[in-house]
Amino acid sequence: MFKRFVPFAMLPLAITSVGVVANELNPDVSVTLDGYYKQNDTALSHREQGFGLGHTELSLSSPIDDLFSGRLTAVFEEHDGESEVLIEEAYLQTNGLPYALNVRAGRFLSQVGYLNGRHMHEDDFVERPAAYRAMLGSHYYDTGVRLNALMPTPFFWQVGAEAFAGDQLTEGEEDIGVYTVNTRFGGDISLSQSWQLGLSWLRNRHAKLAETGDGSHDHDHEEDHDHSHGAGYTGENLYIADVVWKWSPNGNNREQQLTLSGEYLYADELNQFAASDDTNEGWYVSGVYQFAPQWSAGVRYGEVDLQEAHGDHFHNQTLDETDVMLSWSRSHFSTVRLQYTHQEATGFSNADNTVMVQYVMSLGAHGAHGF
Amino acid sequence: MTLLLMVSALPAQAQLRVFACEPEWAALVRELAPDAELTTATSYLQDPHYIEARPSLIAAVRRADIAVCTGASLEAGWLPMLLQRASNPDIQPGRPGLFFAADHARLHAPHDHVDRSMGDVHPEGNPHVHLAPDELPDIARALADRLGEIEPGASAAIQGRYIRWRGHWSRMRAEWREKAKELEGHSVVVQHSSFQYLLRWLGVETAVDLEPKPGLPPSASHLSQLLAEPNLGKASAILIASHQDPQPAEWLSEHTGIRVVVVPGTVTGEGPTETLGGLISEIIRQIESAASGVSHGGL
Repeated sequence: MFKRFVPFAMLPLAITSVGVVANELNPDVSVTLDGYYKQNDTALSHREQGFGLGHTELSLSSPIDDLFSGRLTAVFEEHDGESEVLIEEAYLQTNGLPYALNVRAGRFLSQVGYLNGRHMHEDDFVERPAAYRAMLGSHYYDTGVRLNALMPTPFFWQVGAEAFAGDQLTEGEEDIGVYTVNTRFGGDISLSQSWQLGLSWLRNRHAKLAETGDGSHDHDHEEDHDHSHGAGYTGENLYIADVVWKWSPNGNNREQQLTLSGEYLYADELNQFAASDDTNEGWYVSGVYQFAPQWSAGVRYGEVDLQEAHGDHFHNQTLDETDVMLSWSRSHFSTVRLQYTHQEATGFSNADNTVMVQYVMSLGAHGAHGF
Repeated sequence: MTLLLMVSALPAQAQLRVFACEPEWAALVRELAPDAELTTATSYLQDPHYIEARPSLIAAVRRADIAVCTGASLEAGWLPMLLQRASNPDIQPGRPGLFFAADHARLHAPHDHVDRSMGDVHPEGNPHVHLAPDELPDIARALADRLGEIEPGASAAIQGRYIRWRGHWSRMRAEWREKAKELEGHSVVVQHSSFQYLLRWLGVETAVDLEPKPGLPPSASHLSQLLAEPNLGKASAILIASHQDPQPAEWLSEHTGIRVVVVPGTVTGEGPTETLGGLISEIIRQIESAASGVSHGGL
């Protein structure tokens, strides 16, 4: 067999080596460019008004040997003129252990909920729903280990558990600050329809002794703490239920696809001062219709009902958010998006309506996407 | 290893469980191992480049003994995710449980240099190899060997069926060769390289492609440019696959009078296009009838 040398940058599509690039010794390199223009600042947002760079990623991935694969993802972000480089993923992953077990270790995105385990550049809207921004810092990733098992059932049933340092969510003393349990079911209703249902529980052992501020009622810097990527609103227990339903005529999602999804998040035992009725709650529903191969339109509505810690007491905050978006993808690797966001809030001084224009471009290898 | 496979195959009543990425490979498995329990990930109404790694497919790969796919990056957008999520130790790159048809065929148009400005071009070559009359026997033989390796107890029966299939294929190929003589020199308009192997084999030329770049949907500006193509005048038909949006082809047909011929891009599971041989015969019949319509002045 002839072995032809092809520089890695020229390999399209093929990611974790589907045999054809097995003679390739360099890792696959992929870069995601995410830039935007935002008309106004909004509440609980990680994107400031004006021109800005969003989630710019550099990712290296490769099979390590026949048992392990690995991936490193660095994220470049800018806040108030300061550049940050964050390690979002640095993990090894097993390829096919006995009994369909699956182990991931290192730093990676937690699999709780539907959106959290997905890469941000796969999202249909400029930002994650308010519930995710408040309660998971948009996407919760941390250093730890995961074990998943896929049940030998005729339908899809996965159970999994993760243990994390926990400091990316809440700073604390415990060695294992967070653990999660997750289960997922799914299947096809017909040739055209498929579904998935997930239930997750995240135990945050750092939440009880979390820093709650000095209790002063100075709201000026209230939004600054959101810039750290930890979640602003945590609790000892976070429960998430998620459901996704997709439809495309004859299952041919190249031409058309409708995706309906929704999640409900609930956190309790917020900190040492919390009473039993002090809870954080949030949900969203989203509908995205890809009506032609290159065009999608979507609408999303979500609410959060939060308790902001002020020393030994809480201030109630609520936010209702509606997003409408239209996106165009020249190819599978380029997307330009126009979005309008409407916010109504109590307890947030910077809630506003805004128009956003965003591009998400993917260079180099492009990983396979999940459901 | 072989012993281990035999032992693990015995309690399951030796019924082979096969996951086929595309219907053409399911049809081929059915010819070689009719008793196998088959799951097919895609249908002739779907574009195999764009399938999602949905839960039902993950569960099916989890339970399968072997996955039979095209390879050459055709499934790069979804198969790696399926394999990783299913974490079936038998079905992983480099193991016997993952069979790629393209590894056993001479692919047309491999590229030493590929970048995305060229569109969705596969460096390994055109992956739509299931309509190549000369490549199928090699693929079928490799598949028969592989199925025998996975299920040694049935190996002799599988080889027997392969030899029968091979004889039948050779007879059909001789018939297609006869028909190709009448089609030689004709040309058709295509959308994507789905039928390229068969058209080349028949000596039917490609007048123009409705796609501006491989993998990009036909755009209005590209279509109006095509009207000025000198090759268009000679074309006998606009040949598109069932899973493709017919509107661009119909638009061009209205402006040129060239007939649109819609054929399944792969086997359909019923009727004359149930098997790969039947599918090729049907595609040739459709091109023939379009071509004779042209040469007889549109009767």
